[in-house]
Amino acid sequence: MAILAETALSNTVAAQPDKRETIVAVRGLTKIFKDFWGRPKARAVDDVDFEVRRGEVFGLLGPNGSGKSTTVKLLLGLLHPTKGHIEVFGRSPRHVATKARIGYLPEESYLYRYLNSRETLDFFGNLFELSRSDRNNRAEQLLEMVGLNQARLRAVGEFSKGMQRRIGLAQALINDPDLVILDEPTSGLDPIGCREVKDLIVALARRGKTVILSSHLLADVEDVCDRVVIYYGGKIQAMGTLRELLATPDAIRITTPALPRATLERVMEIIRQDVAQDKVHIDTPTQNLESYFLEVVRKARTAAADTSGATSGARVAKYLRGDPEGEAASDRILERLAAPAASAAPDLNPAPAETVDQAKLAALTQPAAPAPEAAVEKPGQAAEPSFDEANDKLSGLLGKKS
Amino acid sequence: MQKILAIALLTWKAAFRFRLFLVVAVLLLGAVVGLPLLIKDDGTARGFTQILLTYTLSAITALLGMSTLWLACGTLARDIEDCQIQVVAVKPIARWQIWIGKWLGLVSLNAALLALSGLSVFALLQYRATRLPEAQQQILRNEVLVARGSAREANLDVEIAREADRLLRERLEKNPTSQADLPEVRRQILEQVKAEYQLVQPGYIRQWDIDLSSGRKSLSGQPLFIRIKFNAADKSSSGTFTLMVQAGAPPLAPWRSEALSLAPDTFHEVEVPSSFIGADGKLSIAILNPNDTALLFPLDEGLEVLYREGSFGLNFARGLGIIFCWMALLATIGLASASFLSFPVAAFFSLGLLVITLSSGTIASAVNDGTLMGFNSETGSKGSSVFDLVVIPVFRSILTIVNLAKDFSPVDALSGGRSITWGMLGRAAAQIIGVLAGLFGVFGIWIFNRRELATAQGTQ
Repeated sequence: MAILAETALSNTVAAQPDKRETIVAVRGLTKIFKDFWGRPKARAVDDVDFEVRRGEVFGLLGPNGSGKSTTVKLLLGLLHPTKGHIEVFGRSPRHVATKARIGYLPEESYLYRYLNSRETLDFFGNLFELSRSDRNNRAEQLLEMVGLNQARLRAVGEFSKGMQRRIGLAQALINDPDLVILDEPTSGLDPIGCREVKDLIVALARRGKTVILSSHLLADVEDVCDRVVIYYGGKIQAMGTLRELLATPDAIRITTPALPRATLERVMEIIRQDVAQDKVHIDTPTQNLESYFLEVVRKARTAAADTSGATSGARVAKYLRGDPEGEAASDRILERLAAPAASAAPDLNPAPAETVDQAKLAALTQPAAPAPEAAVEKPGQAAEPSFDEANDKLSGLLGKKS
Repeated sequence: MQKILAIALLTWKAAFRFRLFLVVAVLLLGAVVGLPLLIKDDGTARGFTQILLTYTLSAITALLGMSTLWLACGTLARDIEDCQIQVVAVKPIARWQIWIGKWLGLVSLNAALLALSGLSVFALLQYRATRLPEAQQQILRNEVLVARGSAREANLDVEIAREADRLLRERLEKNPTSQADLPEVRRQILEQVKAEYQLVQPGYIRQWDIDLSSGRKSLSGQPLFIRIKFNAADKSSSGTFTLMVQAGAPPLAPWRSEALSLAPDTFHEVEVPSSFIGADGKLSIAILNPNDTALLFPLDEGLEVLYREGSFGLNFARGLGIIFCWMALLATIGLASASFLSFPVAAFFSLGLLVITLSSGTIASAVNDGTLMGFNSETGSKGSSVFDLVVIPVFRSILTIVNLAKDFSPVDALSGGRSITWGMLGRAAAQIIGVLAGLFGVFGIWIFNRRELATAQGTQ
């Protein structure tokens, strides 16, 4: 049950200076595509400025053709800016040393169709000058992670779109990149694949990796991004943290387990003392479709239904977790997915709270009460139950690989 | 290097997975095995072998050349059009490394295909040779399946020019001529003197002094071949003319041929024992013209002495080496054009360049004539055009560049049993790969390095 009340609470979200290292700096970036004769054809990106800091998940959001992918390609040095300046890790994006720290998943599967999954990863591993044993280890772990270990010898050209996205994601991570640039990463993926990708993004960010995510799927961005820019017509229309952009400063929501009618009446009575009747809404929260779908699949998997497609990925590859034993602290992100209060992982069976915190409720309804401190916190920075418990829950949810 | 090799290996995989390697290999082997069934020859084992070598090596060069151009254009242009390059170029590999990796992949692929087809030709020749009668085998091994060096008379150009100048001076002293006619007078005198050096009047003898000291070590016990070609002033009823050849080093007794009945305008070889060479490596050859018609032995190809310099196997390998240099150049041209053009345009552009190269004879004649408007060889007068001021220097530059690659004729040399020296192979590598391919390569890499790689939308 949720109660939404419009109050006079002021939003005191304060912009605190971020002292983390700047990974990407874009200043006055403009890209004009020209025709054969050099005449301007389209202004794809128009005087854009932003910075991305270490450990951020930064979203480029916008409708089709708004300039997201062009920005990504400019960041990668695949296009040259008409005006403006780009620095990635303090250097030109075309510098080999810069590229060594980047992982890129393009918007489509631009992989060699005649190579199989294993050869694809081996080829890209060679471009990073990885040793044979590193290439083998990482390829095995990545194939396991993206659920393609049973399709390792199939040519990429034979893959479905979803499978191609998975192998594309695997190649983007072969070098354990410090900056991961993902262009529409969930495009073509089923809901399980989408969830896995989002989990991975969060896990990478917890390890201090920087992720730039370009997408027009609002749910993807909302689930994982710390900060977003919203493009339209090549210009940035809005930029900030999700909390800054999405907060409704003049309303609060209280969610409780189902309450006895008498209790609810008492609560409403208190609220009505300060807020008009028509400003208060009471409804029953529903889980979203993604959560529902994942639960159905989980049950089907428990019943051991066969599939000929890609299987669900296993845990994040060991080397991406940054711990050879696979028990890295970064994996505690999985806790968020399993914890009832976490935002990204659906709480399929919420445990009822014992009592309503009357004191907190009273405090919230006080007009003069101080607003909660603004803090840019990642969804995974909630309570941290034990790693094993969280991992077991995720494995059960997504299908743990043997 | 690991990155470059990865790109090279990728080119190999593409060639195999798209079955290009298989198709080209089958075509090449088909040409090697099938052509001998189709070609017509003069009925001799030597003639058949020479034609076989010419046809098979020409077919290999043409087939491999076309597939090289096609693959070179495709491997880069397709990567750009299908956007795979976007995933590769964002990895820590410099653009020039991508380019060089592809080039290495192409040339190594060519080397493998050339080795495969070359070995097949070689094996076929050896097999056919062993099935011939011993005498025929001997002829083959002496004249075709061998690497023969060549020695000619010392260059007479300076001597002829000096003689022409002397005659001109004498004539000017006797009959002063207006200054305007001097170049034409000199040209006519020069032709006259040259004709005297080439012409052997009826009943006269012409002597050639050949220095064989440089190749003397390899001559011991091996026969020499005097290669003769002459033109006749008149036709004979039989179609042939009689010649008598004498070779030796005075004061030793010379070797003398019987009267030889030879056709004009074609090459003939006369075998001479090497024991008649003088201790200093000098050999004097005299040819008597007993006919009642004057015979002309051209200065450049009238007479030369061929001697065994090495084995056919190694010579054949060196010949293939020169063909490989051509393939490397074609791979470079294909990649360079694909660096800035789409696949079909790059292929068309590369083929266009190839056509220009093959039609350089027309360009050469225009450069020789000094005009595009035609040259009257009887009057010596030439047309003139303002275009000539621009076009002829351009043609001359093109010809100079084209000749860097066309200076070599391994197919002719191999079918004629002529030696292709290491020096010649080195020069081919330097001129064709070092200079020509180098220029195209630098241009291709430069433009590929500047190109925006993400302007194409995927076509997969």
